Amino acid sequence: MDPKDKKITERLGINRRNFIMLAVGGAIGTALSPLPWKLTDDIAIWTQNLPWVPVPATGEFSYAKSVCTLCPGGCGIKVRKVDDRAVKIEGRTDFPVNPGGICPLGMGGLQLLYNEKIRFTSPMKRVGARGTGAFQTITWDEALDTLAERISGLRDKGNIGTLAAIDGNHSGSTMPVIIERFLKTLGSPNYMRMQTSQDTCETAAYILTGTRGNVGYDLENADYILSFGSGLLEGWGSPGRVLNAWGLWKSGDLRDSVHIVQVEPRASNTASRADSWVPVKPGTEAALALGIAHVIIKDNLYNSDFVEKYSFGFDDFKSADGVDHKGFKTLVLEKYPPEKVEEITGLDAGDIRILARDFANASAPLAVCGRGKGALYGSLYESTAVLALNALVGGINRKGGIFINEPLSVAGLPVLEPDISAKTALDKGRIDRAGSSFFPFSQSLFNNLAESVLKENESPVDTLLVFSANPLFTIPDAGDFRKALDKIPFIASFSPYRDETSMVADLILPDHNYLEKIDDIASPAGLQYNLYGLSAQVVKPLYDTKNSGDAVIELAKKIGGPAENAFPWTEYEQVLKARVEGLYEIQSGLTSYDGSSPPWQRSGSIVSPSYSDFDRMWEEIKENGLWYQQPYTSRDIEKTFKTQSGKFEFFSSLIASSLNGIDTGALGIKASGDEICIPHFEDASLKADDSFPLRMYPYELINLSSGWIPNPPYLNKTLLDDQLKKDQSFVDINPDTAEQLGIKHGDMIFIESPQGRIQALVNIFEGAMPGIVFMPLGFGHSAYDDFLRGKGSNPNEIIFGGKDPLSGQTVWWDTPVRVIKA
Amino acid sequence: MENEDHSPDNSTEPAGSVKHLFHELISYLIKLNAAPLSSGLVYFTAGLAAALVIGWVFFPIALYSNDVQPVGFSHAIHTNPDIVDGETEAERCAYCHGFRDDGSFTGIPALSKCMECHDDPESPLGESPEEKRFIEEYLAGQEEIPWHKYYTQPDCVYFSHIPHVKNGEIECKTCHGDHGAMDSLPAYKKNRISGYSINIWGENIIGYKTNTWDRMKMDDCAECHTKNSHEENNDCFVCHK
Repeated sequence: MDPKDKKITERLGINRRNFIMLAVGGAIGTALSPLPWKLTDDIAIWTQNLPWVPVPATGEFSYAKSVCTLCPGGCGIKVRKVDDRAVKIEGRTDFPVNPGGICPLGMGGLQLLYNEKIRFTSPMKRVGARGTGAFQTITWDEALDTLAERISGLRDKGNIGTLAAIDGNHSGSTMPVIIERFLKTLGSPNYMRMQTSQDTCETAAYILTGTRGNVGYDLENADYILSFGSGLLEGWGSPGRVLNAWGLWKSGDLRDSVHIVQVEPRASNTASRADSWVPVKPGTEAALALGIAHVIIKDNLYNSDFVEKYSFGFDDFKSADGVDHKGFKTLVLEKYPPEKVEEITGLDAGDIRILARDFANASAPLAVCGRGKGALYGSLYESTAVLALNALVGGINRKGGIFINEPLSVAGLPVLEPDISAKTALDKGRIDRAGSSFFPFSQSLFNNLAESVLKENESPVDTLLVFSANPLFTIPDAGDFRKALDKIPFIASFSPYRDETSMVADLILPDHNYLEKIDDIASPAGLQYNLYGLSAQVVKPLYDTKNSGDAVIELAKKIGGPAENAFPWTEYEQVLKARVEGLYEIQSGLTSYDGSSPPWQRSGSIVSPSYSDFDRMWEEIKENGLWYQQPYTSRDIEKTFKTQSGKFEFFSSLIASSLNGIDTGALGIKASGDEICIPHFEDASLKADDSFPLRMYPYELINLSSGWIPNPPYLNKTLLDDQLKKDQSFVDINPDTAEQLGIKHGDMIFIESPQGRIQALVNIFEGAMPGIVFMPLGFGHSAYDDFLRGKGSNPNEIIFGGKDPLSGQTVWWDTPVRVIKA
Repeated sequence: MENEDHSPDNSTEPAGSVKHLFHELISYLIKLNAAPLSSGLVYFTAGLAAALVIGWVFFPIALYSNDVQPVGFSHAIHTNPDIVDGETEAERCAYCHGFRDDGSFTGIPALSKCMECHDDPESPLGESPEEKRFIEEYLAGQEEIPWHKYYTQPDCVYFSHIPHVKNGEIECKTCHGDHGAMDSLPAYKKNRISGYSINIWGENIIGYKTNTWDRMKMDDCAECHTKNSHEENNDCFVCHK
């Protein structure tokens, strides 16, 4: 056949067979080329280098020394850096507070720095409806001008009293001083600092000793620790220090020679690792302290030397006006026999006797107070009872006891002379009535503030400044404060974080993150000696933020007039330096620490300062972030008592004079007569109707930040399956209580108080006291990023308590609730 | 059968069109030797040849990027003993690619190193337009130059320069070649799949090397360790921590 006649496909041989030949040729050719082999290798490598796999930065390694300011603990930190990038936070061994250790939050601090989603990157103003989080970027000039104009406007109209500030900075540090100064110079008395247990303990010490300074606990030298709910392993005080002290008690030479007793309704980490766990009904701790005092007095186990020489009001006495008064001894013997305390606390009377005798017979017994982390205020009478217990065994300013330290001798800023208009405004008094004759022992009362904002037609607060605080989330008041904020016309937040409070603010003036700024800590919480810590700028600010100290100074200059005169400095660091000059003037104290001789050992002789002039000292403090003094010794004990009697007052003349002529019943004080002036137990438990048969007690965890600092995602990963599961948090309930309620482990329930309800999953826990549901604080955020938002429930939203007698604060540790199966 | 006749000879396509030319070519090939063309061997050879060409020629080109460095740079000028301190060549290299106090290697120098000599944005040290561009785009604004790095080892490899250079006294060019004498920087070729520089695998696609600096794979490390009686350093955990 002529090829011409064939189909073209036939002539070309395009058929199945040849196609396979082509493919085989191609396959063999490919196999003989580097393509498949190299490709396989490269793909294998590619799978090891997926873009989300974190790779450490390369560059020059260095360490920057600083001090952690996330809590009032003041631990020394060193930050490992690769070039400009901070990559790890470690504890400093050359810092006396925390020999090398830090807490989980401190370790996770970098996630607060390098997370754009939880931070503000520039000043902003609100453009959408409040709470929607719709903000628009503005310049610092515009932000400060807006605020300066608003405040000037209030002053011009004579309404400066409607300016208020909420401050979460730590007690004794410089920021509170300048924020209060800013308000006072303009004429507003409404400076409010978030109250912690440190404030409660300091106030209790002031009532009984006349000294308002740092209350320190000589944990390292004590041999019997009686902790009234203090979460020693949950982040109480300086976590780095307390965890180290726990290590000292439980290992080495001291092993088994230190006895730890934890008084707490829930078997927390501290309780389960203590030598004894003493569960008492929440809010009855004072009764237990006084029950112990009763046994000690009755058995004559108290330190008669201290009581006779240095105390007042122990025995009955006749006052100058000839009136007979009952003393502490009489009242305690009368009112707190163990059998009676058993009724109040639920604890066995025999156990109370054993506890009291063990405590009194120890060579260095120490009673500690401050519930949980100590981040929230406590009961004032309870704190005085614990302090009195320490005094009873002579443990005031004695090795292994409580140290009532003088306030840190930082220099005061130049005295302010408010002008006439400011004086008039100041005389009108505070909106929250703290410090008034009704609440003489409180510095700030957020419950009163919320109440008066909600009560009046027009909010008594027009402009609110919020510094380093997230009151919307942290105030235990069932959302009253949230409602109050809705009524306040203008809110300016200085928070670096996109927290709940910032989300309802009108103006954002973001602070630096704590690793980006210089700031100070004065006398870390619970430390037994005076220490000043100065944080350093570990990394350059990442965003267009400003140290709030500088922002306040600039704001004052923009407002001008008396405000400008009150702030002669050009930057915040100058204010810090001016205050530190007071430390120089006392010509003692050290600016470096080599780790060989911890201050609490008091073994080293007093070393003279390494600096010869103030500038040199300031440079040394800036370099090491540190200045500290040896602890007080017993020689100083007499100087401590600045009361009317010059002694430790079991019968407080300060309460007597402050409440003279006041209707104490109106303050919620149920006691009468002399008892008011003496540490005693007040039943502040709020009685609700029978439909709320249970009580709710919030607790804290060391690996869950519950304050204004957001929880780093690292810490979320450490939470257990019975603390957080997906988006639900748990409540701890005793098996018997659960059985009565007909609920089992893993059930979804509503916890309902007279003020609202929240939901949670049930965790059956033998360590939970029957009749009480225990909820962790720190969950239930509605702000920040996906790691924090919408996880669990915040018990603060349903907390409903009476007022703590004497202090006037809301009782947050005892809310009547009921449980409903969801 | 007229309708079925599609032979090229009878093409009805207009002369000169592409289709027509194609038909002409096919018919020519058929005439040349009709039978072998349709044999399997031809197809096999064609497949083989095409695959080999793709695998050996096109694939290596396509696999790598061809990036120009942000700024032109002459190593030759910068290693000139009249300009840079250092008695030996290694010392002159170390002027920029030096060691920190802790022994770690600085690698590509930061802008601050350049500024030790190029300290004044107003007065360039030479005439080169690239220097001018360097001054304007980076030096003036204090912006680090985003260099492409030829010799970065993967994250899983722990490599330290100091035992090799200081203790082992290995010359820089043993591993990095004599680029100190080069007037310009070669293009940076990044493997588009693995993301590694071509200098790790080597220019040669099958990884064949003639010089010590041609490749930087694990076998090359091991080869040198073995040759210099440091076989103990071939243990996994010496480099893979």
